[in-house]
Amino acid sequence: MAKDRRSDYRLFQNNSETTMRDTRPALVTMRILGLETTCDETAAAVVSCDGEGRGHILANEVLSQIAEHAAYGGVVPEIAARAHVESLDLLVARALARAGLDLSDMDGIAAAAGPGLIGGVIVGLTAAKALALVAGKPFIAVNHLEGHALTARLTDSVAFPYLLLLASGGHTQLVCVRGVGDYIRLGTTIDDAIGEAFDKTAKMLGLPYPGGPEVEKEALRGDPERFNLPRPMLRRDVPDFSLSGLKTAVRLEAERIAPLSATDVADLCASFQAAVVDVIVDRSRVALRAFHAAAGNPTALVVAGGVAANQMIRAALQRFAAEAGLRLVTPPPALCTDNAAMIAWAGLERLRLDLTDDLTAPARARWPLDSMRA
Amino acid sequence: MQAGVAIKGARVQGGRALRLRILAIDTALGLCAACVQQDDAETPLSAESLVMERGHAEALLPLIERVMARVDGGFKSLDRVAVTIGPGSFTGIRVGIAAARAIGLAAKIPVVGVTSLTAFAAPLVARGQQRLVGAAIDARHGHVFFQAVAPGGRSVVNARHISIRDAARALGAGPAVLAGSGAGLVAAEARALGVDVSTEGVNMAPQIAWVARLGLTADPATALPKPFYLRPADAKPQTAAQIPRQPVPQ
Ligand SMILES: Nc1ncnc2c1ncn2[C@@H]1O[C@H](COP(=O)(O)OP(=O)(O)OP(=O)(O)O)[C@@H](O)[C@H]1O
Repeated sequence: MAKDRRSDYRLFQNNSETTMRDTRPALVTMRILGLETTCDETAAAVVSCDGEGRGHILANEVLSQIAEHAAYGGVVPEIAARAHVESLDLLVARALARAGLDLSDMDGIAAAAGPGLIGGVIVGLTAAKALALVAGKPFIAVNHLEGHALTARLTDSVAFPYLLLLASGGHTQLVCVRGVGDYIRLGTTIDDAIGEAFDKTAKMLGLPYPGGPEVEKEALRGDPERFNLPRPMLRRDVPDFSLSGLKTAVRLEAERIAPLSATDVADLCASFQAAVVDVIVDRSRVALRAFHAAAGNPTALVVAGGVAANQMIRAALQRFAAEAGLRLVTPPPALCTDNAAMIAWAGLERLRLDLTDDLTAPARARWPLDSMRA
Repeated sequence: MQAGVAIKGARVQGGRALRLRILAIDTALGLCAACVQQDDAETPLSAESLVMERGHAEALLPLIERVMARVDGGFKSLDRVAVTIGPGSFTGIRVGIAAARAIGLAAKIPVVGVTSLTAFAAPLVARGQQRLVGAAIDARHGHVFFQAVAPGGRSVVNARHISIRDAARALGAGPAVLAGSGAGLVAAEARALGVDVSTEGVNMAPQIAWVARLGLTADPATALPKPFYLRPADAKPQTAAQIPRQPVPQ
């Protein structure tokens, strides 16, 4: 990227020269480096925002550890932490090189400080603090979930407030996003996350890890009505989820007809996915009602997290959104799963509001989104 | 440190080697420690150590900030970073290495790794010994991380994770001197076997100044800042819970 020094100039309202040339609101242009190491992805990214506050991804480096964990059928925390420390600095160097920028060009350094696997969180957090200290830049400790929650503002400039469905391997939440650091958790899962339910179903059916995409593939050629599976929590007036009963029902059906043929597996996957789709749409509908009561009309329904990659789920939510007169925003898959661009962007949004952290900021295994205060 | 030791990677200007300044970091064991040392001085320019079982991730960078604030020139004046790479606590090792590598990246200077065992043994070895010198770190469950060198520097036991008994046996007939947090354990076992053994420097972590001195003489091309865990990750492949499938027709 060509170095445009002009974008470095901050616009100050009290500077008459600037005001004469530029009558737009005094938005500061910024560039942030973000690090993400909370699960099984080591990632570093550089994002910026322009004079209108729109986000741009200048570099987005991700190194997936899927191969390291595949043999274990899930993420092994110690293996993840070991892999993060081996490659994080290389990814940072690569991200800066790709952006054509130096650390000194950054306005701040952000890292996901949790929630997640603590061994990995510590690696990213420590590295980001060290970079910030040496470069003399502000440090921002970002909540990983806030990264997911604000991604739609990076990709689609969605205005507050909006309804967010966050569905990944570790989290399932319906959230009223009122502003940066201002979240109301409307509903969550009381047991398994949706992605986790996909992964566990895949595992019991002998499909490879990670299971979400495999189950979706099998479901394409299966019969969604062959097995009559439960829709847990349907029509409950608090938009919570429960997935473990559904998972058990799949297991019981499968054990009843084992050994399983290829058709059995496809039909089980299709029936499971159909149940999940029904639950998601119903829970989103209830959440929308709760949203109205808490914050009026949302500007959009945003879906984030790895599960948002599922085409059936997307299509169903598209129908629901259209019915409710809502715009559906689904960031591209690469920005729905874990990445550092979302951490850098959340860092940027916080830095814009002068929400920075000091070098004692703790790594947190648990850190509910609605416990944050801007 | 011995005078006249050639320092690899030292900058040379007008035929004269310039001073080399290093930041050393240790979070691998029971301390959170850092110091700035120069190769022309015996004592660190600035140093701080905090006794710490856990919490290195929160304490280390503020500590480094304080240590650096006390030296002129700040990070720009550093030529190198050294870090203990283990053995020790897995998390502690990673805190130190993540910080050291990030500082190296930001300051554009090389980072070298020093093992905790070598750092424990170094003050004994440096004085010149007619005895075997061993370093031991308590690894719990009757085990230690252990290494031993004969007088003159030949390795007797390469760094490894072994039972206290095997470590004691490796000392042969002695005499031996042991350092490190696990020195007492090995010494007690060795004495029971009749070995002439003493202990010295039975500390919870190496002296940070020795991490710095070793870092100054280390070769950045070989002393890589990579974790030296000496023990594999505790993880077992999972195959259970899968429902039987029909054989796929060929
Ligand atoms: N097509 C799909 N259909 C259903 N689930 C999917 C699909 N693709 C991915 N997933 C699921 O998404 C999850 C991975 O998503 P993501 O990377 O966002 O989450 P994660 O690594 O669990 O992190 P976190 O919860 O910390 O954000 C896995 O559980 C995976 O099975």
